[in-house]
Amino acid sequence: MRFLFQGTLLQKLLGVVLLSALAALLLAMGAMLAYDLRQYRESGFADLATQAELLGRASAPALTFDDVRDAQESVELLRYRPRVQAAALYNARGKRIASYARDPAATFPTLPESDGFRVEGDSVVGFKRIVDDREIIGTVYLRADYGLHDRLLGYLGIGAVVIFASLLAAYVLSRPLQRALTRPLLAITEVAIEVTEKRNFALRAEKLSNDEIGRLAEAFNTMLAEIGRATRELEASNRDLGREVSERGRAEEEIRRLNAELESRVKERTSQLEYTNAELEAFCYTVSHDLRGPLRAIDGFSQALIDDVGDALPAETKPYLTRIRAATQRMGQLIEDLLNLSRVSRGELQRADVDVSEMARQVAADLQLREPERQVEVKVWDSMRADADARLLRAALENLVGNAWKFTGKAARAEIEIGEMRGELRRVFFVRDNGAGFDMAYAGKLFAAFQRLHSGNDYPGTGIGLATVQRIVQRHGGRVWADSKPGRGAVFYFSLEPAEPAAKFGT
Amino acid sequence: MGHLIGLRLRLLLLLALLPVTGAALAQAERGELQIKATFLYKFGGFVDWPPGAFSAPDSAVTIGVIGADALAAELERVAAGRNVQGRPVGVRRLKRNESLAGLHVLFVGQGETARLDEILQEAKGRPLLVVTESERSQPRGSMINFVTVEDRVRFDIALAPAERGNLRISARLLAVARKVITG
Repeated sequence: MRFLFQGTLLQKLLGVVLLSALAALLLAMGAMLAYDLRQYRESGFADLATQAELLGRASAPALTFDDVRDAQESVELLRYRPRVQAAALYNARGKRIASYARDPAATFPTLPESDGFRVEGDSVVGFKRIVDDREIIGTVYLRADYGLHDRLLGYLGIGAVVIFASLLAAYVLSRPLQRALTRPLLAITEVAIEVTEKRNFALRAEKLSNDEIGRLAEAFNTMLAEIGRATRELEASNRDLGREVSERGRAEEEIRRLNAELESRVKERTSQLEYTNAELEAFCYTVSHDLRGPLRAIDGFSQALIDDVGDALPAETKPYLTRIRAATQRMGQLIEDLLNLSRVSRGELQRADVDVSEMARQVAADLQLREPERQVEVKVWDSMRADADARLLRAALENLVGNAWKFTGKAARAEIEIGEMRGELRRVFFVRDNGAGFDMAYAGKLFAAFQRLHSGNDYPGTGIGLATVQRIVQRHGGRVWADSKPGRGAVFYFSLEPAEPAAKFGT
Repeated sequence: MGHLIGLRLRLLLLLALLPVTGAALAQAERGELQIKATFLYKFGGFVDWPPGAFSAPDSAVTIGVIGADALAAELERVAAGRNVQGRPVGVRRLKRNESLAGLHVLFVGQGETARLDEILQEAKGRPLLVVTESERSQPRGSMINFVTVEDRVRFDIALAPAERGNLRISARLLAVARKVITG
């Protein structure tokens, strides 16, 4: 059966045809053979029984009258039946009185047996009693060729010839049929190979028959057309894609070029800016520094005037001098603040472990020293520490705590609290007061230089302090913000490290 | 097993054959007397009597024996309970001058050789199978005559007397006769 799964379709078809033919033939012949052999056996038995009956009747008188000669003659007549191998007549006493054998060496049963025939080897053997007037007068013994083997051999021979001839005929007849079956298939196969090799989807298989293979050819052609169309579309879209890709490449090239240009421009601008900035700061520092000389001269000589000729001056002019002095002192403070702002912007940041609690207490103590008459309750949390530049942090605290001190000036019971909030990523310090507070609508202006939310009459100041604080905090990578309501105090928060290492805060 | 069954069958067969076989075995001892007795009643199976020879379909085939008392005795023994052509067999010992009427077979033994011709004359023309035992030749009027050939009992058949007696003797019987006299 293996060849049914291997080999060409032609071989398989041939195999199927021959196998079916062989199976049909074998079945038919087997049935015929079985039927015939049965018939043969029955007819053989019947034949032999008849033969025995005839012989018995013919020899009945011989047996009756014990005529051995006549009995022998009767038996020997069986010579003309070549099938009979041996025959014998037994008289009523069971004695063999006549016998015949084709083969002289044949032996005979010593005693007759009961009626009936059986197959012994390739012979049919049997006995038949001779009855005359209801008396058993003797028995016929017959042995004849069964011929089953010969018949079987003959049948097998005929069968072999028939099978061979039938298979040959089937083979010969099925060849053209098979070719009719496989030729259209082969044609389709060739077209398929050609299509694959040449990538020519315009080829078409020829429809050679109207059967399933014909439909296969049609389906194949439809598929080819579909593939051809899909291939064309694919190629077109590939071309489009290629064009798009190259365009995109050009665009990217352009973007890279622009970027590079932009970067170089930014670098250029930055260095210009840095240069300008440095110049500006240097200028600012120089101006502030140099302004102090004349200012000190104005202040000093105004004092000298008051001291030397103060009493001689008309009473209404003396306050002018006092006003000049106050203005020069204010200006001095302004210059000082500007210098501070400039200072915190310059120089290297030198971080170290700072005891913030201690620093806050010192700042508060300084303020108390400056204004001993003020009653302010200052609360500083214990063991606050920070990794910061001590000089800058002190400047920031001086500004924040100083502001709190200043804006609680009109409070009934001034309170200032300095503490910290520890988050997971960073800690935030705060300075809280119960002073004047401010409107959050102006919170955006809070940290810009020279912006003041309160009039100089209520709370004196230069408007530079919070700008300085913001600069310091920003230099540490932190952030400063505020929360307040007018008349309800204010809280200023600041951190000294980035919320996240890469993130930048501040305005 | 097959052998055993075969043997048993053979024994059964022998038992079934015993009534015949008993008589047959005696033949070896009692010699030709018994054979002749057997033959005598068996001849009846090969002879057609004319219609009217029997009074009824089942009336007996009567065998008359004269001049052979020993044979008659043997015949009575052998034929007892036997059938010929579906009829029982009867044996009658005939005395001198006794009528032959009602007989179907007549055996004239050697004890009546002297009166043989007379008896045969008497039987002539009757539907009566006449059997004799003359060693010399077939007596005139005898239809079947026993002879001894090579120590075996055989018989000759003369057809003419049978035809006269309106008897038909079966060809099968003729086939086993030693000699058939047709003249």
